[in-house]
Amino acid sequence: MAEWNAFYQNEEADEEQEEGEESAVNYKVTGRDSLVFLVDASKEMFIKGEDGEPSNFDITMQCVRSVYTSKIISSHRDLVALVFYGTEKSKNPRNSFKHVYVYHDLDEPGAKRVQDVEALRGERGARLAADTMGSGEVSLGDALWCCSNLYSDIKLRLSHKRLMIFTCMDQPHGGDSTKDRQARTKAGDLKETGVVIDLMHLMKPGGFDVSLFFCDIVSPPEDESELGLQVEPCGKLDDLQKRVQAKQQKKRAMARVNLCLGEGMNVAVGVYANAVTARKPSAIRLYRETNEPVHSKTRTFHTQTGSLLLPSETRKAQVYGNRQIVMEKDEVDTIKKFYDPEIFLIGFKPMEKLKLHHHIRPSVLLYPEEQQVTGSSCVFAALLKKCTEKKVFAVCRYTPRRNYPPRFVALVPQREEVDESNVQVTPPGFNAIFLPFADDIRKLDTPQFPTASDVQVDKMKEIITKMRFKYRSDAFENPVIQQHYRNLEALALDMLAPESIEDFIMPKVEQIDRRLGPLVDEFKELVYPASYNPDSKPAAKRKTADAGGGDEKKPKVEIPEAELRAHIKNGTLGKLTVPVLKEACKQFGIRTTGTKKQELMDALIAQMAK
Amino acid sequence: MARAAKSALVLCMDVGFSMSNSPPGEEPPFDQAKKVIQKFVQRQVFSESKDEMALVLFGTDATKNPLDQDGQYQHITVRRQLMAPDFELLEEIENHVRPESQQTDWLDALVVSMDLLQKGAQVKKYDRLNIVLLTDLSTQVSSDNLDVIIGNLGKLGITLQFFFPFPMEEEEHNEEGGGGDGDGDRRGSSRPGVGKGLSREQKQGLEMVRDIMLSLDEDEGLDQVYTFSEAIEQLFMFKHIERRPMAWPCQLTIGSSLSIRIVGYKAVTDEKLKKMWITVDAQTSKRDDVKRETVYCLDDDNETEVQKDDTIQGFRYGSDIVPFSKVDQEQMKYKHDGKCFAVLGFTKHDSIHRHLFMGSQTIKMFAPKDDEHAGVALSALIQALDKLNMVAIVRYAYDRRCNPQVGAAFPCIKQTYECLVYVQLPFMEDLRQFSFPSLENKKFTPSESQLAAVDSLIDSMMLVEEDENGQKEDMYKVHEIPNPAFQRLFQCLHHRAVNPGTPLPTMEQWLKDALERPSAISERCQAPLEEMKRKFPLKAVEKKKELKTGAQIFGKGSAEPDAKKSKVDEEEEEFNLAKISEGNVTSVGSVDPARDFRSLINQKSLPFGEVCQQLTHRIEQLLSNRSTHYYMKCITCIQTFREQSVKLGNADLYNSYLQSLKKSIPNSGLQVFWDLLVQDAITLISKDEVEGSTVSKDDANQFLATEEKKEVETEPAVDDAGDVDDLLDMM
Repeated sequence: MAEWNAFYQNEEADEEQEEGEESAVNYKVTGRDSLVFLVDASKEMFIKGEDGEPSNFDITMQCVRSVYTSKIISSHRDLVALVFYGTEKSKNPRNSFKHVYVYHDLDEPGAKRVQDVEALRGERGARLAADTMGSGEVSLGDALWCCSNLYSDIKLRLSHKRLMIFTCMDQPHGGDSTKDRQARTKAGDLKETGVVIDLMHLMKPGGFDVSLFFCDIVSPPEDESELGLQVEPCGKLDDLQKRVQAKQQKKRAMARVNLCLGEGMNVAVGVYANAVTARKPSAIRLYRETNEPVHSKTRTFHTQTGSLLLPSETRKAQVYGNRQIVMEKDEVDTIKKFYDPEIFLIGFKPMEKLKLHHHIRPSVLLYPEEQQVTGSSCVFAALLKKCTEKKVFAVCRYTPRRNYPPRFVALVPQREEVDESNVQVTPPGFNAIFLPFADDIRKLDTPQFPTASDVQVDKMKEIITKMRFKYRSDAFENPVIQQHYRNLEALALDMLAPESIEDFIMPKVEQIDRRLGPLVDEFKELVYPASYNPDSKPAAKRKTADAGGGDEKKPKVEIPEAELRAHIKNGTLGKLTVPVLKEACKQFGIRTTGTKKQELMDALIAQMAK
Repeated sequence: MARAAKSALVLCMDVGFSMSNSPPGEEPPFDQAKKVIQKFVQRQVFSESKDEMALVLFGTDATKNPLDQDGQYQHITVRRQLMAPDFELLEEIENHVRPESQQTDWLDALVVSMDLLQKGAQVKKYDRLNIVLLTDLSTQVSSDNLDVIIGNLGKLGITLQFFFPFPMEEEEHNEEGGGGDGDGDRRGSSRPGVGKGLSREQKQGLEMVRDIMLSLDEDEGLDQVYTFSEAIEQLFMFKHIERRPMAWPCQLTIGSSLSIRIVGYKAVTDEKLKKMWITVDAQTSKRDDVKRETVYCLDDDNETEVQKDDTIQGFRYGSDIVPFSKVDQEQMKYKHDGKCFAVLGFTKHDSIHRHLFMGSQTIKMFAPKDDEHAGVALSALIQALDKLNMVAIVRYAYDRRCNPQVGAAFPCIKQTYECLVYVQLPFMEDLRQFSFPSLENKKFTPSESQLAAVDSLIDSMMLVEEDENGQKEDMYKVHEIPNPAFQRLFQCLHHRAVNPGTPLPTMEQWLKDALERPSAISERCQAPLEEMKRKFPLKAVEKKKELKTGAQIFGKGSAEPDAKKSKVDEEEEEFNLAKISEGNVTSVGSVDPARDFRSLINQKSLPFGEVCQQLTHRIEQLLSNRSTHYYMKCITCIQTFREQSVKLGNADLYNSYLQSLKKSIPNSGLQVFWDLLVQDAITLISKDEVEGSTVSKDDANQFLATEEKKEVETEPAVDDAGDVDDLLDMM
């Protein structure tokens, strides 16, 4: 079993390697995203719907909470703020704006903030809101101004700035044209500085008319196909409430290398991960007494002298054939060096030559880098087109970075695909499938069996047809990670129990049984004899099957005393196996607690010496 | 678990007189034979095989073997008893196997070898006994006991392999097909000695060998006869790692009541070397002399160390860190029922994308060997899937401790067997759904003539072609190339072990060739490639440095030789890539420590004290280079340190650092650096600037001034101090 386990234990190490690979070249880094919730706190927001439906304010808080918790998991470095307008009381950095209440400044979200928002929910939340902020005059212009100050106070580089207005009032200023104009000007200013303003309009008796005022406030939709002005209460709300519990990944190249078609023909490509095994975020070590994080320092020192050793004072070694072979550190590196980073074209092969089971690691995607070598995109596009047409893939030698031994990859063309609404589903590019070397392929003894008869196969076909479904690669969440996040959330927010998760990779046994009905028994009758039970423990079965063999496996291991003495005399006791030694101990009435070979041998030698 | 199977092997080599004979310009058989056993032992050593080996030489001047009696079995030496091969054996071969001047009956040597094996087999259990005989068959053989020998070989179950300098048959035997393109010329060289014609003894010997081999194995006996050069060719590469496949018995389940017993084996996996580099002391080369220790420190100014037992683990939850002990984590974590291979459903084969295969392995699932019913049931599933062109989506869990996966089981039908091939598929969290600008862009659309150029390039570079029999021939099988990383590592390790103190060898030519484009392709694609170059203008964009490197800022002023400068440039280029992102500065790097320092202070993610420590650490590191180029960088660092300290109103760290720096100047030979510091008037932070400072303005200014005076006096002394240091270093 050791071998299999080794694989799983290696996971952590691999992870580090992968991460390392990515961060090593992430020189194009965007700043952080930021999001400001600008929430109307006027009286209308607190009116409960008929049949005890929650108030708009309540819905909004639910939304904000959901975004907070999602952000914490997906990209906790993003900045989020919560600002109320139309309040009675004011609270903002310089207190220069009336009726604007900055509840949360632009900052990374944390447990405290989630709890704060949680407190604003429901009946009690409404009361709390009334106590702390109250409802008062509305000036969207001031509120927007205040928000723009929030942005300008941030010293970090922000990549994406978004502002969401939550309101149920299509005419916030009740027709006050001065205030309207002021708000429009401020919104314009914000948009100029790159802030995207979104409107989350909520239910309002008689419907929310965006065209009355807000159409001038919000940013024009990026996508032409999207109709910016929705008359229906916002469907985006649902999206916001969708729980996203996956770490968001920034699009960044793992490497930028040349795809070398031949001497002097270099096409620049970026290498991107298609999928990387997501793992639980790593733990942080804390000091037990204070819960403050501690950092670790690793140092290498000399055991004899106790002095610290510089890297130059150590070397690297391996032991083979009873000999320690020593090398300098830079020698160890140069051994790994074969080529400079590149993807070197060897030739082409027809698609059917790509073996399905020749898989050793997740593939990567290549996309041209016009900024590095102009003309790359054109060559790339031509190659892509021709490889697709001719149904061939390219075999290349891939050296991702310096001092890294090469691997071979199959570059499989992938044409761009878009869905009905013209959104890219599959990007164009070459998927680089890693190919195994001879060492990676294991020889297996393949047992041979009679093949199934047509009747048996047809019955199975029926079963398969009953259990058909449409596979989507994003349909399965990782229950391990999901559970971890829920646990963390429960601890952070002092919840009584973590939210339960749905295990998508658990077979829905009852449903399957119902669907298959009698098919299962029919199939079993066709392939299994009545006496056969596939569920019986294989081990148990083996025992009955070759009962004779069982005895053979445990031969009498007694050993004559003379022989034993001879072994002791010649010092060849070690050649005996542990069971033999154990048996010998029993034979001479030696009580040993040890099970190690040396212990048994020592005991025997001691006994014989008497 | 069963112990690794062991086999015993005797290398029995002729070192007699005739082995050194060869026509001029040809390698003597002796040298070839020696190479064969060297390569062979080498492979065994690095594959860490448990097989044991003995070495018997015959034709030696001396005699040393257990059968030496009454003038029988003379001139046969047992150089080494059955033992695991190691470097000692390699050295013995290197140094003690040399041509000698006797001639010995090779049958006698065979008997001695058999005796070794027989005695060995009495003490230990071997699953295979083998004798490898290398000789030119040039001695007179007495065939009196041949029957007895053959009988004993059969009785003991000993297998034989013969290696001769010439091929056994006059005609070529084509046993190897996929040897690559260089096959033709290699075969040419593999027949030295043939033309010479064989002597009577050799012919007689061959006859006898044929007798022996055919009586041991009627059908394939003669397959075990090789020529030296064949063997060398095959032994060139280090043995590829063979791992015993580990069975994983489980049940494939569909719903609650249909289960099929299966056994999984890893079929393809990203193989890594088991051995890691260990760190040893440079002087003693002893591992035990080096110890690595990890300590945990609080983030306070003193970096108070805390015991590992006094730490617990926590996880980041947004801006907070939530303590979450291992015990709690274990308790609350996702648990499952362990080993499982359960079908979730079936889906169309083409809805599984090859580029979204996850993990680092594929597993083949068979029915258990002794279970025919399971075999039939599984066959039904495999056939049905294949006919419907569908695959099973399954939940796979190796065991209770391992996280469950989702994956696909593909039907795989081969001539001799059927199985399911399992590959892991991604979870939603794993996917990186990046979108990229469309290439269907007018700017990038290739013209017809460009497409034609690509077309002919592809045609000229097809690695798979039909031969005259309509058979498809693949001239570049990646899965037959040994992992070059392993080959190179073993080559270097071997070299270092046998020739300590010499530089590492260059890569072996065969390996280089194996990784290159086949020469046939290179030739064929020349013209199409030229056409491509003409049709597609490519221009590398001058890399704009996104950040000025230290070399650019200060480099001009320094009087460093250019070569060195460019090397620094290169180094820093690498660093740059990693550090350039301002948002991502996590520690004070060496490229632009001052900027890193500033951004770390701004980020406030680390306490001020720690950031300062990182900076001063960097400064020390840079100063230790003793070069003006680095001094300039350090000056900037100290200036920034000062500026930030003033800004934050915390003067203590800065002041104490500068004071200690000053103290260390005379002993560290950094006078030049100090002069620069004085020139730039980088003083202590005084009370006037920061309230908390204990230094008055006058003291602050004095700090540098007094030094100036002293400096003149101490200058000669500084040099002396430097000498002492050097002397110490030398000792």
